[in-house]
Amino acid sequence: MLITRRSALLSAATITTVGTTLGVSRRARAAETMKIGVVSPLTGPVAEAGRIQLNSLRLAVEKQNAAGGALGQQIELIVEDDQSTNPGAVLAFSRLAERKEIVGFIGSIRSTQMNAMAPDMLKVAKPVMFGGTDPTLTKLGNPWLFRCRPNDGYSGRVIVSFVTDSMKLKKVALIHSTDAFGTGGKNAILANLEKKGLQPALVQGYTNNQPDFSPVVLAVKSSGADVIVSYFTNEPDCAVFARQLRQLGIRTPWVGSPSIQSPVTRGLAKNALYGTYAVADFVEDSNPTAKAFADVYRGKHKESPDSGWTYDGLMILAKGMNDAKSTEPEKIRQAILSIKKYAGTEGEYNFDQFGDGLHGYNIVINNNDKIDYKEHIEFTD
Amino acid sequence: MNDFLQLVFQGLGIGAIYALVSLGFVLLIRAASVVNFGQGEFSMLGAYLLVVFFNMWGIPYLIGMALSVIIMAGFGLIFAYCTYWPLRFRGGLPVIISTIGASIFLQNMVLFLYGPSSVPVDDLFDTPGIQIGEVFLASQYLAIIVIAAALVGLQYFIFEKTLLGKKLQATSQDKEMASLLGIPVVLMIMITFAYSSALGGLAGMLVAPILFVSVNMAGIITLKAFAANIIGGYGSIPGAILGGLALGVAETLGAAYISVPYKDAFAFLMLLAFLMVRPQGLFGEKISEKA
Repeated sequence: MLITRRSALLSAATITTVGTTLGVSRRARAAETMKIGVVSPLTGPVAEAGRIQLNSLRLAVEKQNAAGGALGQQIELIVEDDQSTNPGAVLAFSRLAERKEIVGFIGSIRSTQMNAMAPDMLKVAKPVMFGGTDPTLTKLGNPWLFRCRPNDGYSGRVIVSFVTDSMKLKKVALIHSTDAFGTGGKNAILANLEKKGLQPALVQGYTNNQPDFSPVVLAVKSSGADVIVSYFTNEPDCAVFARQLRQLGIRTPWVGSPSIQSPVTRGLAKNALYGTYAVADFVEDSNPTAKAFADVYRGKHKESPDSGWTYDGLMILAKGMNDAKSTEPEKIRQAILSIKKYAGTEGEYNFDQFGDGLHGYNIVINNNDKIDYKEHIEFTD
Repeated sequence: MNDFLQLVFQGLGIGAIYALVSLGFVLLIRAASVVNFGQGEFSMLGAYLLVVFFNMWGIPYLIGMALSVIIMAGFGLIFAYCTYWPLRFRGGLPVIISTIGASIFLQNMVLFLYGPSSVPVDDLFDTPGIQIGEVFLASQYLAIIVIAAALVGLQYFIFEKTLLGKKLQATSQDKEMASLLGIPVVLMIMITFAYSSALGGLAGMLVAPILFVSVNMAGIITLKAFAANIIGGYGSIPGAILGGLALGVAETLGAAYISVPYKDAFAFLMLLAFLMVRPQGLFGEKISEKA
């Protein structure tokens, strides 16, 4: 076969064109995805919670992508490990912030990490869906923070309302972590007790990761409290306290923040937590969306989820983009603030001017390791 | 008064754990002049071995513990071979850095193998404890105190009453002289690494039912055990034990009667106070340099 100069040039041009086209289309495909940055604890003491949050997020991505994604593009997660620490979270977010193609973020469930990252989030000026429940986080003048769990202002109100109105108990021993989450919870409880004209029998803080809670347990015992209210941040701390409480024979009724009923805490504390009550943002029997999500999660991961806020966060972020018909941050922000009566796994979202989507909590009881839904208390003011 | 006694008991229990881990530190300081920052990881590995033998494979608890101790002793030899042996002629600092590196490696290895979740382990005894008046003595804390006391007794017997103990002591006091006397110094150092690792592993197994088993379980305990080592007297065996117990009781009483959130601070305040007032610790020898 004779190869002429013309045919050789033609072949070379064809190869170049095809190659370039393939390269361009590959790059275009990569650019087609809608990128969401995720700060998640992949390592460190709370990595277990991070694993469940990430599994939930991936389910949300699958569902949303099957329904068309966001603005017609498939959603892609860009995950950075926060190492379960504040400096780790700041570093993880700064890595994500450098990527200009990211349109929004899924932040942390830990208030202390959100506080650490909040200044950078303000500078980046893109929507951040988060789960930290410190009430002040949405009141810092940072318009980019959108909370997908009820804040501790509500958990405090619900706990005090449940303790005083339903249980008819008045002498509260309040145990709390001294980090941002625990302190936020403590302040909310104290404020709501004061509204009811009650003084706590004991207010006892502790630092995270304690091997021994006996001083706290004995303080509860000598306080004469008729109910324990707790805000534990780390599951092992809650389990150590629970076991020592029961070992020292204290059977005082106990109403705690959500960590008291998480699968991790129950797995560690076992029967020491039977009969305890908790406020819970995510309860699969509390609404049909939560039930459907939990069923899909169980089918895929062979375990029950303990939260749905990252799932909701991603779905709301995608809805915000679709409603805004734009990736412009301010338009997405306005679209999220306009969301009302959105049925999420954590409850019905009605975003207020501060970026709080949820305004109530469920009460659950641990019946021999089975978490039973008891009631939902919603506030409109 | 009952609360006070209860707190003292709890403090002794937690202090006995500090003492056991501190003892591991001290033995290596004496035998090889090595501060082993992987000591906490010995505890973590010991606890995970118990999880594997007891929780996963269903081997009876005490047999599982015994197997874990034996494996940890062997692991101590490997640890020494990797972290100490190649750097033994380069002074203390490279070995310390090497143990820090090994500690990070071990943490991440366990994280990779078993994940980040805490794992519960059953108590050594089925009964939760003994009630004496208003004071409840939890069985696991009792076990820790009794086993720590037994180990101290055994250690005293080995070091003071056996030829092996004399050789170990001679090695720790002056390696060159020991070598001239025909004592196999390298073997003595390797035995100390093995014993220190087994001791750390045992401490981890004993504390596992209280703190649960996780990659980070030994973090604060190791720090406090090191503080106990300074308080008791750097490199002193009775000092490590008394320092650990004193630290456990002081921080528990301090938390109960002064402030719970500053519980960890009491341990380190105590350390600072000793460094300023009595730097040689409770049992340390005062060393001064001639002008």
